[in-house]
Amino acid sequence: MLTTPSARLLGLMAGALLALAAGLASLALGATTIAPGTLVEAFLAPDPGSVQHLILRTERLPRALIAAVVGASLAVAGALMQTLTRNALAAPSILGINAGAMCFVVMASSVFALRSPLALAWVAFLGALVAALLVVLLGRGRDGGFSPLRVVLGGVAVTALFVALAQGLLIVDQEGFESLLLWLAGSVAGRGLEMVTPLLPFFLVAAGVCLLLVRQLNLLVLDDEVVKGLGQRTARVKLLAGAAVIVLAGGAVALAGMIGFVGLIVPHMVRALFGRDHRWVLPGCALLGAGLLLAADTLARFLMPPQEVPVGVMTALLGTPFFLYLARRRSLAP
Amino acid sequence: MILMLFLRTCRRFTALTLLSSCLTLAAHAEAARSVEHSLGEARITGQPQRIVTLYQGATDTALALGLEPVGVVESWLERPMYRYLRDRLPAGVRYLGLETQPDLEAVAGLAPDLVVGARYRHAAVYPLLSRIAPTVIADTAHDVEAMLELMGEATGREVEAQALLAEWRARVADFRCRAEARLGDAWPQRVSVVSFRGDHVRLYYDGFARSVLDQLGFLRPAGQQGSGWGIKLVSRETLPALDADAIFVFMRDDAAVAELHREWTAHPLWQSLDAVEQGRVYYVDPVIWSMGAGILAAHRLLDELYDHYELHDAVRQGEGRAC
Repeated sequence: MLTTPSARLLGLMAGALLALAAGLASLALGATTIAPGTLVEAFLAPDPGSVQHLILRTERLPRALIAAVVGASLAVAGALMQTLTRNALAAPSILGINAGAMCFVVMASSVFALRSPLALAWVAFLGALVAALLVVLLGRGRDGGFSPLRVVLGGVAVTALFVALAQGLLIVDQEGFESLLLWLAGSVAGRGLEMVTPLLPFFLVAAGVCLLLVRQLNLLVLDDEVVKGLGQRTARVKLLAGAAVIVLAGGAVALAGMIGFVGLIVPHMVRALFGRDHRWVLPGCALLGAGLLLAADTLARFLMPPQEVPVGVMTALLGTPFFLYLARRRSLAP
Repeated sequence: MILMLFLRTCRRFTALTLLSSCLTLAAHAEAARSVEHSLGEARITGQPQRIVTLYQGATDTALALGLEPVGVVESWLERPMYRYLRDRLPAGVRYLGLETQPDLEAVAGLAPDLVVGARYRHAAVYPLLSRIAPTVIADTAHDVEAMLELMGEATGREVEAQALLAEWRARVADFRCRAEARLGDAWPQRVSVVSFRGDHVRLYYDGFARSVLDQLGFLRPAGQQGSGWGIKLVSRETLPALDADAIFVFMRDDAAVAELHREWTAHPLWQSLDAVEQGRVYYVDPVIWSMGAGILAAHRLLDELYDHYELHDAVRQGEGRAC
């Protein structure tokens, strides 16, 4: 573990470099390899006649942007949820948040033919919120406290419910609703820049809220009684952090469907490296989450071209060995 | 004494009954014939009248032979049955659910005397099906000629099946000959079979359309020799994988599909494909090219090809094989 602030800063910089390298690889590599010179040219002096420039702007750039934003959002949302619930198993994919958002998006796009990215994002937020409320309802014991077990069980039940609803639509019309599979399986490919840019403000606001909350989040890890004794208003912090989770996870689903693993595992990796201080954990999660998804999406293009491996499969393939290595070395706790 | 007499009479009577039932059995055995199929053999007597078809190609073939199936599975598009088959379908036909999960109780309820399925769909339920009725299972769901022969044999209509087969082969030969004459050195063409879907594009290496195209003498582009049904493409930068002398495109009538099609075909990589530059992208009927998979669909597929290649369809117009 990196213990001194300077070591942690170096660690963050290394993370940033890794994410940047993965981002550049994502831009340069694929069905055609694009030289670094062309990469720079495409953004400084775009040539409308060049096919490579066009691939960069219409395919690779939105794709890299989505992978980076979604990876960072899911990892940060996972870290927030693990802190909020004091539960090492909490993650948007485990507690039903992703499934809720996915189910609402699927209904909106297939039944109501909603297409605008902004509208779909709002629908995803709503779905994430409904799922979160359901989990809170299910997870709350008679004494009003949350048992970690009840919360996880509630989350698994809510996930099953929403996935079942979405799959029910598929059974109603297998041919017609085929495009739903994208949301169910998760993918960062095949979407244009116009799908991403309208959502960026939401992610930025959520990131800002997270930055403002880092100190209070550190206190949430402590016992509720202790926190109250310290004079902290935990309700407001929890509410804001919860809102950030919903925007980050809901937005990620609106862009890329259900992608598991990142939200659960990346926070554990980051804590194993940086300790439990949210000032380091949250930026670390953002960088490692983005880097992991970018690398996974790039590698997904090379296993059996011109087909692509689903990115969710690649994240698990890439992330699990690293996670196992960390897990064997350190005890993992939120 | 009386008792003994009675017993003797009884014995004689029993022996007589046994003999007569043996004779009946022998008569049956004479009529029942063994039809071999991909999962075993079926014992079929005479010309089955109550036929159940469990996949689209079997329904198509049965109707082509002039049979009237009592039960069929639902179609994938144009539910409950493809328009090109509806007119031939008997009015009281029973729909038995989807090809992938037919309702076995309903099948049994129809008391069929022949069930026709396909190995990749019905291998798991074959033991049950064969207890309901004699069942024949086709090896693949898209080999038109094999299906026609199997159906002819199973229903005791070999003559009709052979006639249909001969008609089909004459047309195939006619098309090959005319296409060669029309295209000269450009024949045989290397062609791609492509389908736009809601969230990806499919490039087919195998399947019904591909097998008919093979029979007609069309070739595959160098990159498309892989095994399996084909591949799914999700990123437009993989568009060059589609390139060929000609591209056959089919897609459902659906907003998401149309949107994806618009996005992909607007891309310069699509515009720079050989087939696109030469104006040889042919839009074809999704039902005929990927769903029907029987001899009737094959003929309609060939109709479309005669049209697209602007060839004179002599066989269909009853002029015999003029090429």
